[in-house]
Amino acid sequence: MTTVLVTGLAIGMLYAAIALVYNVMFSTSKVLSMTTGHIAMLGGVFGAYFMQVLQIHWVLALAGSVVVGAAFGALTEVLAVRRVLQRSDEHLWLLSTLALATTVQQGVGLWWGTEPKPFPRLIPQDFSAGIADQKYWLPIGAAILIALGLDQFYRRTMYGKLFIAMSEDAFAARARGVSTDRVRLLSFVVSGVLGSFAGFAAGQLTFAFFALGHVLTLSGFIALAVGGLGSNVGALIGGAALGLLSAFASYYFGGEYQQTIAVGVLMLVLLLKPEGLLGAKNVRPV
Amino acid sequence: MTGAAHSKKIGLVLGALLVVTLPFWAGDQYQLHLAALIAVYWILVAGLNLVVGFTGQLSVGHVGLLSISAYTFAILGGTLGWNPYLAMVAAGGLGGLCGLLLGLPSLRLPGFYFAMATMAFAMIVNELVLANPQLTGGGIGLPGPAFPAPFDTPAGLYYLVAALAAGVTWLTWNIARRMWGRAFISIRDNPVAAQAVGVPVLRAKLSAFVFSGVTAGFAGSAFASLQSYITPDTFVFELSLFFFVCIIIGGRGSLIGPFLGVVVLTALPEMAAPLAKLGNLFYGVLLLVVVLVVPEGIGRMLELIGERIRPRVARHEAVKPDLARLTRVLAEQA
Repeated sequence: MTTVLVTGLAIGMLYAAIALVYNVMFSTSKVLSMTTGHIAMLGGVFGAYFMQVLQIHWVLALAGSVVVGAAFGALTEVLAVRRVLQRSDEHLWLLSTLALATTVQQGVGLWWGTEPKPFPRLIPQDFSAGIADQKYWLPIGAAILIALGLDQFYRRTMYGKLFIAMSEDAFAARARGVSTDRVRLLSFVVSGVLGSFAGFAAGQLTFAFFALGHVLTLSGFIALAVGGLGSNVGALIGGAALGLLSAFASYYFGGEYQQTIAVGVLMLVLLLKPEGLLGAKNVRPV
Repeated sequence: MTGAAHSKKIGLVLGALLVVTLPFWAGDQYQLHLAALIAVYWILVAGLNLVVGFTGQLSVGHVGLLSISAYTFAILGGTLGWNPYLAMVAAGGLGGLCGLLLGLPSLRLPGFYFAMATMAFAMIVNELVLANPQLTGGGIGLPGPAFPAPFDTPAGLYYLVAALAAGVTWLTWNIARRMWGRAFISIRDNPVAAQAVGVPVLRAKLSAFVFSGVTAGFAGSAFASLQSYITPDTFVFELSLFFFVCIIIGGRGSLIGPFLGVVVLTALPEMAAPLAKLGNLFYGVLLLVVVLVVPEGIGRMLELIGERIRPRVARHEAVKPDLARLTRVLAEQA
């Protein structure tokens, strides 16, 4: 029973971390990128690549995957978001990020192979550790670290305040002399760093698998929508709830219905409370 | 004006001739199979085009409908031994019902939320297929039943799906250019304004989804019969993306564009071997390039080039008051 609880919490915290990454990008650009899950996938795959193929120490491997994630974040902004936002068509960013996500996923599939590959242990530990195993505690720790770090970032740094200013009103921020393009690029780089960090930390749980991206994009989005778009606390609550629910559901009903239950939760929340648990009510544009 | 209509008619006749004679000049069985596959995909995409291209609802989950109807056809026609035509109609009906279900969230959810919901729908369908092996064969799959003679040969099956595709094209053509098509486009461009001028948004959206569901149902039945064996691996999310890419590349709000998209995107990876290896990577890159360079789609681009070669003559129509009639009416009133 505790194993189910800890597994659910661990996978839920990975979802929560993805939801936080969504929030970082959303704050400056109002774009919900389809590449969000793929950032974490890249973190896991490149972590395994650096450690297993190149035989680098895990600290350096973590640094390497974070750099890859940051580069991918910057690429997303430059390629799929910047030009599309200038054209100001509502749905176009959805298509461009979806296209980029598919390209990256298939590229990784061709290069890395389509089989899930094991992710090496980071800290020497016996495999019989049970619920104290690092594969459960690393993603939980990473998500909490990301949440705390983001909180401090928003509260204490100049750029954090710029992010908040842009999420309130990008035009007003621009009028006050904020270089909105540069801040948006920075937010995508930050999201790349955080996403690949979370993917790296959860590597032992998810394996280094190229097709992870779409699942994480969807699950992270469900966590975000349940918790409320734009709210970091909501993301943590939504992620934990989703992870625990699917873990217990597969414990009682078997693993076949995981997605079905997750989406059922999403639909229920959206019907009862469309703005999510802690989200700001959005006014319908007329 | 008449010249354009004339050349369109010639094009239509030539196209029909090409489609009818294809089994006689196609190089081998595989090319014929490919042509039939294009027709099957087009049956689905024609319906999806009304949803994505005209109504502007970004459904990326239509592979779920294809999967449901293909399995319905295989179970009814194969396992239970129904008449294949009856099974096909049943699959179409179920497809329409599932299309309605898929469309319901679109009434409430904005763009991205809805795209996620449809993506989840596709994943759920695959999960349910795998979870019920006694019905669907699980990961092993099911054989798709063949149609009775004269449609049991590759050429016969090709004619059947080509006729179906032509029928669906005719239906969508009628819908798209008349009242309903205008209503769909107005919903895509501005739902609030559409509602304000009296477009029944709820009914129009759901009609588009039900229609696309029915076409997906027929496409799924033909698909199962054409592939002769279906497994959950056939209905991956990337196939859904493929349908979607066809429409976006062809251009939203056009019929010929998505059709060319289906033809080119199905045939191209088969003709050029290196592209087949890259497969979905190729679709991803192509979608990215189209969205960034020509977001209106290739169909619109061709139209613009055509207008440059042969500029459209703006007809001058002055509004002339009918003074004689006016004086008559005024005299009557006086």
